[in-house]
Formats: sequence, C-alpha cells, structure tokens
Amino acid sequence: MEKQFTIKIKNGRKYFYRFSLNQRFQHIFLFSTVITLVLTGMPLKFYDTRWAKPLYAIFGGINYTPVVHKVAGVLLLMLFVYHIGYLIYNFTVDEVKPLKAAGRLNLPSLLQAIMRQPMMPQWRDAKEILQLMKYLFFLTPERVAGDKYTWKEKFDYWAPFWGIVIIGSSGLIRWQKELFSHLFSGELINYAVIAHGDEALLAALFLFIWHFYNVHLSTMVFPMGTVFLTGYLSEEMMIHEHYGQYVEVMKQAGLEREIQPLPGSGDQHRARGPETAAPVGY
Amino acid sequence: MLLGLTVVWTVMIWNLTFAHLYKGDSHEVQTAKDPGREQPKPVEGKAAFQKQILDSEKTVKLYLGYQVLEQKQLLGHFHIVDIQLKPDTRNYCISCHGDIPHDKFKDLRAFGNMHASFIACQTCHIRLEGDQATHIFKWYDRATGQIVPSPVKDGALPGTYNAKIIPFERVDGALQRIDSQARIDFAAEYRKQEQSLSEVQKSKAKKIIHQQVSKQPYMCESCHVQQGSLLPFEELGYSKQRIDAFVGTEVIGMIKNYTQFYLPHILEPGIGSHEPEKKVQ
Amino acid sequence: MAMRVKNRTLKRLGAFAIWLALVLVAHSQAYASDVGNCLLCHKYPGLSRIDENGKYRLLYVSEETFNRSIHAKVQCEGCHTDIKKIPHDPAKKVDCLTQCHIIEPTSEQKFSHKGVEEFLEHSVHGRYDKNGNLKKFAEDLPTCKDCHDNPMFRPLSFFKRVRPGISDAALGRCRVCHSKDEFIYRFYNHVTTRLHTTRNPKNIAEVCARCHDNSELIARHGLSFKAVATYTETFHGKSAEYLSERVPDCLNCHVKKGQSPHQMLSYKDPQSSTYKDNKLAVCLTEECHPSAGAKLADYNPHPNFDRKQNPRQFYFTAFFILLTGGTLLPLMLVMFLDLLRTMFPHASLLRKK
Repeated sequence: MEKQFTIKIKNGRKYFYRFSLNQRFQHIFLFSTVITLVLTGMPLKFYDTRWAKPLYAIFGGINYTPVVHKVAGVLLLMLFVYHIGYLIYNFTVDEVKPLKAAGRLNLPSLLQAIMRQPMMPQWRDAKEILQLMKYLFFLTPERVAGDKYTWKEKFDYWAPFWGIVIIGSSGLIRWQKELFSHLFSGELINYAVIAHGDEALLAALFLFIWHFYNVHLSTMVFPMGTVFLTGYLSEEMMIHEHYGQYVEVMKQAGLEREIQPLPGSGDQHRARGPETAAPVGY
Repeated sequence: MLLGLTVVWTVMIWNLTFAHLYKGDSHEVQTAKDPGREQPKPVEGKAAFQKQILDSEKTVKLYLGYQVLEQKQLLGHFHIVDIQLKPDTRNYCISCHGDIPHDKFKDLRAFGNMHASFIACQTCHIRLEGDQATHIFKWYDRATGQIVPSPVKDGALPGTYNAKIIPFERVDGALQRIDSQARIDFAAEYRKQEQSLSEVQKSKAKKIIHQQVSKQPYMCESCHVQQGSLLPFEELGYSKQRIDAFVGTEVIGMIKNYTQFYLPHILEPGIGSHEPEKKVQ
Repeated sequence: MAMRVKNRTLKRLGAFAIWLALVLVAHSQAYASDVGNCLLCHKYPGLSRIDENGKYRLLYVSEETFNRSIHAKVQCEGCHTDIKKIPHDPAKKVDCLTQCHIIEPTSEQKFSHKGVEEFLEHSVHGRYDKNGNLKKFAEDLPTCKDCHDNPMFRPLSFFKRVRPGISDAALGRCRVCHSKDEFIYRFYNHVTTRLHTTRNPKNIAEVCARCHDNSELIARHGLSFKAVATYTETFHGKSAEYLSERVPDCLNCHVKKGQSPHQMLSYKDPQSSTYKDNKLAVCLTEECHPSAGAKLADYNPHPNFDRKQNPRQFYFTAFFILLTGGTLLPLMLVMFLDLLRTMFPHASLLRKK
C-alpha cells in the first residue's frame, strides 16, 4: 500500500485523499471494460443509424465484435466478483473482527454494521437531496454540505452495481442460451434480450451523460476531474462537494483556522470558483 | 452551451424512452377487424405521387460475398441494373422535358432516349445552317457541365460515359457552346417566374426558348451514313472499329428497315397512325 | 451450410478483382449468349422509355453482369420468345415457365421452370385454397418476379479455406480434364453457388419485406405483424443487418429441410416447419443450436412490441423504458437547474426574509 496522507499540500494547495490505489484500479478497469462493451454493443441496438456500421467495423464486424464484447463482458464480471470479495474482506477486517473481539457478533449488530458502510444509502442522503432541491430552486443560497460519499456518488455506485447484475446475467443467458434452454422457457431469452439492451442503454446514458457531466463537463471540473487518477481531490472541489467531510478532516489535521466557509452561507462577497482555492500563505 | 446540451440530452432521452410508449412503436399493423373484407383503396393525389414516383425506384445493394453490387431496383424488373448515369446538371431542356423525353413514335422512342443519354438535345433538334454551322462538336461532363476530353476509350462500355455531345455555334465570329450560359439563365428565369407570368408573357418566353429548335430534327441517317456524317466521329474520339460499327450494315440495315417498312411517314410527323401526343409541360 | 466468411485483406480482394476482371474480359466473348446480336442496341443504359402508364421501361441489359448470372447460358430468345427479328415490336412479358433452349443434362429434356408452378400453388403463397377456390386478394400473392430478379452467381472457394469467390487454383484443376473455359467457369459457379444461398440473409429479408413489412398487405391478409422488422429486433436479424452469412434468414426456418422456398407452408399447417410441434427441430439444426433443450422452442423469433399480442414482453419492455426515462429525466432536470444555479450563485428567493 502506498503511504496515505489525509491532506497533501502541493504548490500551496491542499489536496484531500479520497480513493486508494486499489479503488482507483478497480475504477479504471471498470470504465475500460464498460466503454468497450458500450462501443461493441450499442451498434447492435442502434443498427439502423449512420454511425453504427463504421463503429462495428472498427472492432472487426459481425464475426469479431461479438467476441470482443464477450471478452470485455467476462472481464467486467470478473471485476464484479473481485469487488464483492473486496467488500467482504474489508467488512470482515473492519467490522466483523472487532465485533468478534468485543464478543458482540450477532445478527442485529452485523446488520447495523452493514448499514454503517459508507456506500449504504442513509437518511442524510435524502436530506442532502432535499437541501439540493432547495438550492436548485433558488430557495436558499446555501450549497449542500456533502459528506464523504454524497448521494450522487452513491447513485453512481449503485446504478452500475444493479446494471452489472441485470446486464451480466442477461448477457450470460444470451450467450449460453443452449444451456439455459434446458432449464427455462425459451421466452427467457426474449426477456434477456430486452433487459440486456434496455438496461445497457440506461447504464450508458447514465454514465456518459450524468457521470460525465459531474466529473468532466460541469463548469467546476472541466475538462476532467483528476481524483480518479491521483486519488486526491482539490480543496475547492472538496468544499463544493464534500463540505461536511472537509470540515471534519481539516479539524482532524489541526487546520481549523484555515477552514473556508461554505459558499452561500456566510461571506457573500467571496467569489466562488478556482480563485477561492488559492490560499495565501503556503 | 451546456444548458443547450442538457436540453438536447433531455430530448434524446425522451425519444429513446417514453416516446416509444407514446408512439406505440410496435410493428403491429392496424389489423382489419374482418380481414380479407376491406377493399384496397385506390391511391390518389399526393400518396400516388409518393408511391408511383418517389418509391418506384431505389438503389439497393446485392451482397455477393466477393463483391457488393449496387443496383438500381425497379420492382418487377428482371435484369440487374448495374449502372446509374449521373444526372445531367447542364442541360436546360430536360428541366421541363425530362431526361427520357422521346415517346412520340413507338418504334423510335427508346432509340431516341438511348441517344439522348450521350447526345445533348440540341445536337439533333437544332439545325445549324450556313454561317452558323461550325461542324464542331465536343463532349461535356454531365455532372460539372464543363467541356471534357473524349470519354470514349478502349474498354469503356458504350453509352456509359457520363458525358454528352454538344454542338458549337458561331456568334459574331466567335465559337460558343450552343447551350450558352445566357440561354441557361433565360430558361431558368422562366421556370422561376412561370407562376407569376401572364399568358402572353408565357407564350413569348416559350417561343424565345424554343427559337432555335428545328421543326425537323436530324434523323438516324444524318449520322449513320458512310459519307458525310453530321457528327465528326473521329474528332469525338471514336475508334475506327466503333465508327465502322456505326455506319456498318447492321445499323444501317436496321435503320433502312425502320424507314422503309415501319415508319414510312417518319419524315412527315403528324401524318399516319402516329398522332403526336399532347406536349406535357 | 455454415459458410465461414472471414475478412480478407484489401490486397487479396484487389488481386481477386483484377483476376476476375481478366477472366471476364478474356471470356466474355466466349460465352456471350447473344446470338441474335441483341446487345447491339440493348447494351446502352439509356435505352429506355416511359410507357403509357407512366412506368419506366428500362431495356438495358448489362452484358458483364448478365454473364455472371445464373441465366448466363440462356439466349435472349430463350425467354423473349416473341422476338424473331430486328427491329422488333415491343416485347411481350416473359413467361418464366416457358421451355428454353437449355437441355437439362439429367433428363436430356428442354429445361423449364414449370415444376415450380405446382410447388407454389400448393404452398402458402399459392393462389388457390385447399378446395381449389381462388383466395381472397389472390392478386397480392407473389409470382416469379415479385421475389426473383436475375440471380447472380455467388461462387465459393474451398481451396485451403472457405471464402466467397472463385478459386483460381480450383479452376486450374478443372482444366486438367475440361478444355472449355466457358464450361469450367459456368459449372464452377453453378455448383458452388448452389452449395449455399443465392442471396445473403440481408438480401433475402429485403425480398420478404416487400410484402411482409407492407402494412397494407399485412392488414388485408390478416397477418399480425411486420415479419422482417420484428426479425431485425433479434440477434438473428441484427447480424443479418451486419451482413453475417452465418445467421438464419427467413428461409432457414420457414422452409422445410429438403424443400425449396416455393413450398413454404403456413405455421398453422402441421406439415410446416414452423408448426408449433416442428419448431424445435428447426432450432436444433446441426448448424444452429444442436445442444439446446426442448424449451428453446418457446423462444419468440419475431418479438413484437405490442400490448395485445405480447403483453408480458410489452410490460417487461415498458418497465425498462419507465426505469430509464424515470431515472434520467429527473437527473437531467437536476443538471439543468445546477447549470442555471451556477450562473446566479448567490441568488435566493428567500434570502431577504
């Protein structure tokens, strides 16, 4: 494991540690396979468009593109299995073992522990969304003070999670139709075709519009957020997206005096945007 | 800009999702309640135009494995149509008369149209006499309208040249294409303003456009003769072999058959069984 | 036949094209069936007219293409029997069932397509029903030229590996015994074309679509959906759309093994390959899904997005549509508002309170 700093200061700017190397690797692996799958799959769904055929030809046409698609699909499923293992391992180390050591390992405590996991949807996510709505409808100037993982990120996490389950299973049915036809009605293949394509469309649109907007196109991060490569998030983004965690981390690091206010809350004259991020004195 | 993009995305998502439910995007057809009873309605008006004109021909691809054959598909046509000539952009006659204009004489119409695919209308339908006659003919490209070197080469299939022969006339001592830009512009202007012209103006314009047109066009034997052909075949790039074919016994014999047995009145249009059909605008 | 067509390099394609061109140029004289010199006039693409009904009559015949077609050996007069002299009167419609000048080698009789007529009359496309009565709207039912234009040879090479086209090497071996190149070329084409389909799956579907995707005809004949459009919604149809030769086209399922497309029967006929009890055998064909289970027959190869015909699949699809739209459209709204909000970072309706 690389050495982690909660806050790293470089060229006078603060950077906040967010994602471990393992997580970043999983993410890169995830999006490489997903992009490949979208590029090799969508031309089939939209066969009658002008872009479909040239795109399909790049991957080798009807004789080879399905092979590329299947290889990428298997890799993605392998990542999914690895990720589940990763979750179980972390959960065992961080939650089960301490519970066991404390002798409180039982079902309610385990369930509580599961609910505590950072990616689990919680009450405060609903509150965050409510707050966001107030902000977006000009009812308050105050931005949402996001925690370590905001509702957006949880959405970004669970959408592909559900997507992989649906698309992966339906993909396997389509691939191994002979095997499945011994077990289930052939109509299952019809459903698998619908589910595979339609859920993939949802996932692709979700990722390439919503997720890309949040990490690439949004005026705050354009042209690209770098946290997925470096693991560190800049201070202004930290304030913008995860103010709750920001305050907490700053306090832990003993930097209470340098905590910037949440835009819209106190000092109205302070301009938002990159200028804010140039803290004087470093 | 991003706002616009968001709107575009929203529309796209709508089209990809709910629009399908709205349109009932099924491949179902309005199955008649009592199938087999409903009489097919005759197509008329706009729908007939769509069916008979717009949908009547399309380009399809035949995938032969080792070759993709582009084919003009004419429904019910048996032979494969593997060639499509580019539209003639220069010729202003065809903007009213069409590119397949000959239909007056049953035995000549297809030949006329065949020749029209590589000879401009003016070549036969205008007789340049006396001083006007230059005896100069050149090829022009159907697509660009520009004069081009002879497309007739060994191996080029006859009649597939994408070029047409156009005569030259002498105006004030200078050589010029008979389809001069001035004439093209005049005809184009007439087409543009036709709707707003008075009947007198229309007749005047038509007269002027057709001023040069000769009542009696050049016929087969004007060119298909051993001596004194109207068209200078050699200058137009034809090989000795091809010229021999043009004026050989097969072609000339066929023409003789036509003029002597089939169309004795060919030189006197309007007489005999071949009533000239009403001119269609 | 499962034909393994692989992507060839451009170079090989080019070399093949040159070779083919050479063969054609070298031999076009040799096997031209134009005894009557009809091409003197009919070689011109402009030989055409518009007939009295406003129909375009193209009288052009491409010699080069015709010589690569199944009818290459048939003389013009073989089909256009009413043409006896040049110049000729407007030709009559060709009767495909006529006896032509070709001698069928096994029977040594003059060849005719007469037998096809009987097949067709007993098929679902026949014009008479079982009791010999003319069907309703019999005029809609196909005759020869509704499906067939002049079929082109689609030769295969089996030399070293299977690919489309002619094998030069194989022709060389033919020449060991047979001296007439015209015969070798035609025989090679004839046999290898017959070893697979004359049209690729996409072209076949296009032919069927002329009637079976025509809403008017579907309604008039009480059919329930567009056959080709629904086929194209499946992987079979999409692969055909991408020019795969290996997927089933309309005929692979709808024509009974050992028969020809002229003998197709309605799915309601117990004799038909698509009858509910016979469907499975089609799926389990050696080239398709031989290891599949019996339940594969429940698969719907023409999934129609229709509430009445396919309620379960309709609602299943609708669920995903709602899910997709229901998720993404609100997110678009958030995005839109977020962008709007960024323009006025400090504005608030309730601020002055």
